[in-house]
Amino acid sequence: MRKKLMKRAAGIVLAGTVFAGSILTGCSGSAGQTETTKAQQAADAGETGGGTQEGAAGSESSTDSKISDKELTVSVLMMDSPTQPIKNFAPAQQEIFKKTNIKLDYQIVPSSSYADKKSILLGTNNFPDIVYLQGISDVVTYAGSGIFEPLMQYVNEETMPNFYKFWQQYPEMKKFLLNGELYVFPVIGRDESANGYGPVIRQDLLEKHNLKTPETFDELLDVLVELKKIYPDSIPWTGRKGTSQLLQTCSYMLGSGYGSKGIYYDYDVDGGSYVFGPADVKFKEVLSYFNKAYELGVLDPDFATTTAEQFESKLSSGKSFFYLDNSGFGQNYTKALRKLDGMEDAVMQIIPIPENSFGQKRAISYQTEVMGRFYALNSSAKNKEEIIRFIDWMYSQEGSDISNYGVEGESFEYNAQGQPEFKKDFVMQYKDAQPSTYYAIYSDLGITKLNFTLWACNTRTWFEIEKLAGNWDEVSDEYWNIVEADKAYRQPHIDPPFTEEESEKIKDIMVDLNTMLEQEYNKYIMGVEPIENWDNVIAKAEAMGVRELEQIYNDAEKRANEQ
Amino acid sequence: MQSVKMQRVKIKSRKPQSLGSRLFDVGNYILLALVGLVMFYPMYYVFIISISSAEFINQGSVNLFPRGINWDAYKIVFKNEQIWTGYKNTILYTTVGTLINLACTAMCAYPLSRKDLYGRSVITVIVTLTMFVSGGLIPLYLVVSQLKLLNTMWAIVLPPAISTYNMIVMRTSFSAIPDSLMESAYLDGANDIQILARIVLPLSKPIMATMTLFYAVSHWNSYFPAMIYLNDQAKYPVQVIMRDIVIQGDMAQNGDIASNLNVVATNYKYAVIIISVIPILMVYPLLQKYFTKGVMVGAVKG
Repeated sequence: MRKKLMKRAAGIVLAGTVFAGSILTGCSGSAGQTETTKAQQAADAGETGGGTQEGAAGSESSTDSKISDKELTVSVLMMDSPTQPIKNFAPAQQEIFKKTNIKLDYQIVPSSSYADKKSILLGTNNFPDIVYLQGISDVVTYAGSGIFEPLMQYVNEETMPNFYKFWQQYPEMKKFLLNGELYVFPVIGRDESANGYGPVIRQDLLEKHNLKTPETFDELLDVLVELKKIYPDSIPWTGRKGTSQLLQTCSYMLGSGYGSKGIYYDYDVDGGSYVFGPADVKFKEVLSYFNKAYELGVLDPDFATTTAEQFESKLSSGKSFFYLDNSGFGQNYTKALRKLDGMEDAVMQIIPIPENSFGQKRAISYQTEVMGRFYALNSSAKNKEEIIRFIDWMYSQEGSDISNYGVEGESFEYNAQGQPEFKKDFVMQYKDAQPSTYYAIYSDLGITKLNFTLWACNTRTWFEIEKLAGNWDEVSDEYWNIVEADKAYRQPHIDPPFTEEESEKIKDIMVDLNTMLEQEYNKYIMGVEPIENWDNVIAKAEAMGVRELEQIYNDAEKRANEQ
Repeated sequence: MQSVKMQRVKIKSRKPQSLGSRLFDVGNYILLALVGLVMFYPMYYVFIISISSAEFINQGSVNLFPRGINWDAYKIVFKNEQIWTGYKNTILYTTVGTLINLACTAMCAYPLSRKDLYGRSVITVIVTLTMFVSGGLIPLYLVVSQLKLLNTMWAIVLPPAISTYNMIVMRTSFSAIPDSLMESAYLDGANDIQILARIVLPLSKPIMATMTLFYAVSHWNSYFPAMIYLNDQAKYPVQVIMRDIVIQGDMAQNGDIASNLNVVATNYKYAVIIISVIPILMVYPLLQKYFTKGVMVGAVKG
């Protein structure tokens, strides 16, 4: 019976998705639930705010008049986060209200349900004034129906001075234009540290056995072979989610690339171009490298099927010494290892990106400049003028300080350089909070990237808080120093928007292509097929339209750049 | 356990069994015990993980017995206010929802069980049709929205008021009640509502108990309508919150620095699962005596 019900539920979902596309143009009229103007409250709100602050020297918008003369409520569809629960009208939002007269009213949706809920709300044109989007693809799907406000009319020095600065600073934001029109405000990172996939090794073992920190990928194999000799029962190199994760994390460093599904942007090909990694001759280097690692007994024999749990258990029990994935994980394993007997000095530490066989040192970091978070404005929202001014204010230093540091005098103070800094006694209240000091503060104050911020901090505030709370150890310090000193990292390239037609085509080609390729990788890594035969696979991929796929990407890229 | 023992005594008292029959019994018990174990182990595993300490879980060394036993995960769960409000909501939605379900289903099943209902077969076909065809999510959402039910409890409890399948089962069970009983009630001057309330329902306790269980469990476990129709976190049932906590860790946040920290620990997730499952699990034993009589007993006879 339950099964039946579930089937039905699944059916409903399916039907819903199918209908979504066809219906959204049909329904209009029921606008976002907006604007409650309470004139009586506007008066006393006027008294509290408006004070000039001494420290915020650089902020342009700290004038006496507020963004809005009367009190306005602006609703925002927000994604919740279990690590940083979003609260309505937290201190930062109260402070924003004081300064601007804009009251943010969050509609908070659990992250696991966000995609479903958002598509229903957008599909029925039933969404708040501002909606958070995780990617540009929603814009392509929904912009045509006119539910999002076109924004280019506001993007100029006069209307949005603060945003306009960023618009000029990051020309790659042009990628977010759709037919020359902008529909979303991208979140910009503020002084973010960028880590990413990186090689992480048991530094303590290298020192103990007098092994040199590897500087090339070949040396890396040598070192791991040595470790395998010393610890015959170990599995020196392990991975976390099977072959595709292995390719995703390592291919770019090894001189080719994989992206997440094969296609990736190579900064070094023709000054930057999209390439389908596995259909490129350079990919043979990647496969033969893994093959070598496999045959030397260095790579986990279960590499193709290993799971995140196994990965974690191998690394935190000392069975594995090396991984190449999110390098930040290493600090967790250091902590776990040190709890074991005789492992008090264990250190899992990142090493600078080694040189590959093409003589390059290269890696892609996580997105920290244009952060891949977006907010769109409902075209039927009331008080658009005020909302636009408000959004611009959120891009200003004053707006950013409040939305990343909270309330001046309570949670932060300005230092001599006019930069905000957290107050130690405030931070210490959260010393042993769950899940971590900084997440507890983020959540309680209603600040940083995961909240409604447009010029957003994450690592900057994180480091500051952890240092103040005394949770910062030398391993983390060393980690960030190595990452920041490493010139190999580059920001990920922002994909251009595709037309619906292109997306269809891409999907069609990708599915077939990856189904075919996924059966091939393991054969070559395990040495069942000699690497020379990979040319046949490339030929097969070409017959399936891989060059057309690359063409679509590069054309879309060109189109986006010409806008 | 008790019922097993009783059965054994019964068999013994009849006559000595042949060797083959005994072997069969032994084999049968072993097989069923294995099947039972397969069902039991995952639950047990979730439980022992929830009380083990993180270091052993990460090493993958918790298999049969908990290691490093502690109740920290539960302490954290109990401190989570969201879970408590979620709990309150779930209990409210389950109670109200199940009452509505039972009332509506019985009121729909009773007339359809009567052979003298005019147009019975046509109505039955129309009702049955809804089992296979539905309007789809977006229209449903629009209807709920137009009825101003959004973000209220009613959006959760009213749309699923009748499950067609359950209604048909109940109808079949009702129609097993002899017509002569109802005729005599008529002669005594009872109307249809009285007959339903005083004759049919008291005679249908097993089916009502079974339906209570079916409906209550489905309300308890449901998260999708809540996720779609509710906007206010204070109204979320516990399943929405649990789902978020459990799934979150699996939604590989590859591009996110936050994935640095494995913040949602496995034992915490599993503790949440246990907490949200236990109450509804306790309902089973209470209703089991009706349940074993079989929801289908009525159906087969009818």
